[in-house]
Amino acid sequence: MSDIPITPRLLEEPAPCAREGAWLEWISTVDHKRIGILYLATTLFFFAVGGVEALLMRIQLAWPGNTFLSPDAYDQVFTMHGTTMVFLVVVPMLLGLANYLTPLMIGARDMALPRLNAFSFWVFLFGGFLLYFSFVSGHAPAAGWFSYAPLSEKGYSTRYGLDYWALALLGIGVGTIATAINLIVTIINLRAEGMTIRRLPLFVWMVLVNSFLIIFALPALNASLVMLLIDRQLSAHFFTVMGGGSPILWQHYFWSFGHPEVYIMVLPAFGIISEVIPVFSRKPIFGYGFVAASTVAIALLSLGVWAHHMFAVGLGPAWNYAFGASSLLIAVPTGVKIFNWIATMWGGSIRFTTSLLFAVAFLFTFTIGGLSGVTFAAFPLDWQTTDSYYVVAHMHYVLFGGTLFAVMAGVYYWFPKMSGRMLSERWGVVHFWLMFIGFHLTFLIQHILGLDGMPRRVYTYPDRPGWAVMNLISTIGAFVIGISVLVFLANIVMSLRSGAPAGDNPWNAWTLEWATSSPPPEHNFDRIPPVHSARPLWDLMHREGRA
Amino acid sequence: MKRFDTVRLAMAVFIASEAVFFAFLIAAYLFFSAATVHGPTARNSLDPPRTLVFTLCLLASSGTMWLAERRLSAARFGGFVLWLAATIVLGFVFILGQATEYAGLIMKSVTPERNLFGATFFTLTGFHGFHVFCGLVSMCVLLGLGFTRTFGEKEASGLAAISMYWHFVDAVWIVIFSLVYLTVWL
Amino acid sequence: MKLAGTSHAGKLLLLRKCITILIEFLPALVYEEKNSSQAVAMHLSVLSPASPEAAHIVWLWNVCLYVCAFILAVVTISILYILVRYRKRDEAEPDQSTGNRTLEIAWTAVPIALVAVLFTLSVAIARTVNHPVDRPPDVIVTGHQWWWEIRYPQSKVTTANELHLPVGREMLIAVETADVIHDFWVPRLGRKIDAIPGRRNTVWIRATQPGEYQGACAEFCGAEHAWMRFAVVVESPAAYAAWLAHQAAPAARPVQGDAAEGARRFGELTCANCHNITGINAQKSYGPDLTHVASQETLAGERLRNTPENLTDWLRQPNIIKPNCFMPNLELSHRDLTVLTAFLETLR
Repeated sequence: MSDIPITPRLLEEPAPCAREGAWLEWISTVDHKRIGILYLATTLFFFAVGGVEALLMRIQLAWPGNTFLSPDAYDQVFTMHGTTMVFLVVVPMLLGLANYLTPLMIGARDMALPRLNAFSFWVFLFGGFLLYFSFVSGHAPAAGWFSYAPLSEKGYSTRYGLDYWALALLGIGVGTIATAINLIVTIINLRAEGMTIRRLPLFVWMVLVNSFLIIFALPALNASLVMLLIDRQLSAHFFTVMGGGSPILWQHYFWSFGHPEVYIMVLPAFGIISEVIPVFSRKPIFGYGFVAASTVAIALLSLGVWAHHMFAVGLGPAWNYAFGASSLLIAVPTGVKIFNWIATMWGGSIRFTTSLLFAVAFLFTFTIGGLSGVTFAAFPLDWQTTDSYYVVAHMHYVLFGGTLFAVMAGVYYWFPKMSGRMLSERWGVVHFWLMFIGFHLTFLIQHILGLDGMPRRVYTYPDRPGWAVMNLISTIGAFVIGISVLVFLANIVMSLRSGAPAGDNPWNAWTLEWATSSPPPEHNFDRIPPVHSARPLWDLMHREGRA
Repeated sequence: MKRFDTVRLAMAVFIASEAVFFAFLIAAYLFFSAATVHGPTARNSLDPPRTLVFTLCLLASSGTMWLAERRLSAARFGGFVLWLAATIVLGFVFILGQATEYAGLIMKSVTPERNLFGATFFTLTGFHGFHVFCGLVSMCVLLGLGFTRTFGEKEASGLAAISMYWHFVDAVWIVIFSLVYLTVWL
Repeated sequence: MKLAGTSHAGKLLLLRKCITILIEFLPALVYEEKNSSQAVAMHLSVLSPASPEAAHIVWLWNVCLYVCAFILAVVTISILYILVRYRKRDEAEPDQSTGNRTLEIAWTAVPIALVAVLFTLSVAIARTVNHPVDRPPDVIVTGHQWWWEIRYPQSKVTTANELHLPVGREMLIAVETADVIHDFWVPRLGRKIDAIPGRRNTVWIRATQPGEYQGACAEFCGAEHAWMRFAVVVESPAAYAAWLAHQAAPAARPVQGDAAEGARRFGELTCANCHNITGINAQKSYGPDLTHVASQETLAGERLRNTPENLTDWLRQPNIIKPNCFMPNLELSHRDLTVLTAFLETLR
């Protein structure tokens, strides 16, 4: 807390909490800041929903033979948990942050297409509504978040849940693509004078690359979904063997989307880390060019690794070798980033804010997740570990311990800008340790469960030696995470009401969003500082002779 | 500092995403056309010469769209309205041709349900037709706007974007026509 | 940056040393020369191989583990060091270093080299585990929702949920499915392989230790995926041959007592429509073949231990024990339950 250079008596109380203006203003807004907050609030809500789904699953799995959830109920819950977290939480949360921050970080007044921006949000929300309406229709989808055929076909999934799933995802996909278009045009077109591509804040750069990845990956999902719907509703046979179709084609098509999707879920997180770590180390990012270039490498490679989700399908040596090679290769640019972030902190002057704590936790946890990913890319290992709890551990290490920790770092970092108030650092530390410990308690042991042969997507398991204890530990960890989320939510609510005033630049950071008030006025900037490097405010501070 | 026209850039990016979408549908068509052994196929169900006529209408509509753009940039508003209307009519003729082709096929019981040729054919040409339809709607809106206001930079931008879209839709049709119809006709 | 430079060069040297040590001791990690229980302290299924196929994968795992542990150690120790050494001490601005090209090249090149090694090893292990198929399969395993049909074509044996293998002999197992995608996985004996509709996949297994092994379906296949488990019994060739002969023998229709009445009721209550019992009810089996059901260890995909009490319970309420399974609850009377159990218990 002593790291934050605030002199409160010099700062005005910010205007009362973000919910100013009538409801109608929020519904009809085209302001990117409000839309960003709408995204963040909505995804926070869906995060809670997805989290409850996770807790339900963990309760069912707390001991063998549990009858808390019926098998069918469990299958709906795990399908909805995965679908919610991927489509209604992680991606829109990152896009919401991108929405709020991008125009500010490039010195623009708003996004290039504000009405398209609003449209994107509302169609995403509608998709979320449609997905959850499936419960009301009598049966949520229950074929897993990747809905493999032929289980997802009409013959084996007779209820309407999957149709809602497909339609919802189509809607959400449209919104996602529209946001990506908007971000690309905004970043290319609306940069402030002097902000060349090489002076872009790395968060913006990663958002740009990410948006291109969305443009190339989401249409693959759309194609897959329409074909599945045509199979289900018009009785075609794209993915059923009986009519000459191919279940494997579904896997190829889905993973052509699905693998880039996981990078879509992580690149903006890398961007957050690239902003947070330099500021709290008081040094610029180490190897800016290499971090930027490695992002492009990851994006390109991610288009060519999809069949590593299919190593156990028996496609043959050529497929295994090609995709094993590309999947091993994609670890390299990711590692480059980790090393660069560490080198950024090396020789710095580290401020232990909650934001930094989460960023450091990200480095450690995401490295573990990335390395367990390498053990899959060595594909004979995949033949043992795929579809087991080892995969569940890996994916949560990279998506939760990776992306979500980075988002937490970003929230603690940018909440002052968005609301004008600081989040409580004391409660932030509590939140951090509960979440960090809860996370590892939940997921570390799942590596062991997977290696001992526990398959994934099972509503219960036999009483094998150690399985009951390990599952119980995992469940306890999940509840610790739950408590940490409650602490986080409480922190947000409390701080919105009575957090310390933040001022324009509580962290003494260097990018343009800190050159305006907190929260920014509707037009964002009264005056944009001159941009001669990637750190305009650092240049200003040093020209004026201040450290 | 604007580097490119916003609306044109947005449309270009959108077209890129749609190109990927069509690529996946085309790939499915090609993948299954090799595998279909029973029932109707492109060879025994389609009428390429007839479809060629409607194809030429669609390609002509690209030409009329180009002419409409030129008239607008030369501030010849009457000419713009004329050629835009011609584009809409030609596009509509194409849709009619497609609809009647569908009707004929369904009468011969060539449906998505029947076999994978049916499924992939209708999916691919159906989504193309849907894109044509959306383009026609946009053009009608633009035409309507043309009667209610003076066209300036903004509207010219919009026309340029719709024009890009329309040319893209035509290009996709050239690919589809070649892969689906020409390969069995020639 | 000098400090970082030195320690990074030091790290490179350490890495080279580690790799040297690794290469020298690689043969020692190979299955044939080392007792498998020494491989890793924890006796986890995947890491307790009972076949050379599984052992090869464990070997690759160990290599990967060393590589990954090394990288994690570098990252973790660096972070801990940084958090202690470089925490803020004063307001002075640290050296605003922006990069170091040599370092960038180094920490790009070394990982590329590491992954190249891992790739080469992966290809080598893959070729060993998946050697070419040169004869018809010994066993054909067909996945159903939610049980495993197991057939020995040469011996004309069909059974369910229990796979027997002779110790020491290389067996070729074909994996198919009758409905959705399943996955055949016996972690201690080898890789998993998907069962894809319209396709036959194969896996080689040469079990080298007698015993009983756990198998499970490892691809989500619907409501009772969790209970689509199976047992693998590895026994001496003699015992295996005896088992096959026994399984090939038809069942004998019981002629007296409850068992006889049970046999009659089996036919009358439509059980016979789904379940084959060779010798008594020759029928295409939609459900598990019951010819020797009483000789199996478990019932319903390992859901229940195979005891008369459990069998009766299963007949009485399959939809409660394994909800969503396709065996109907026929609401059998107490008398029917008794005689059916008596009959089925004769099917050893």
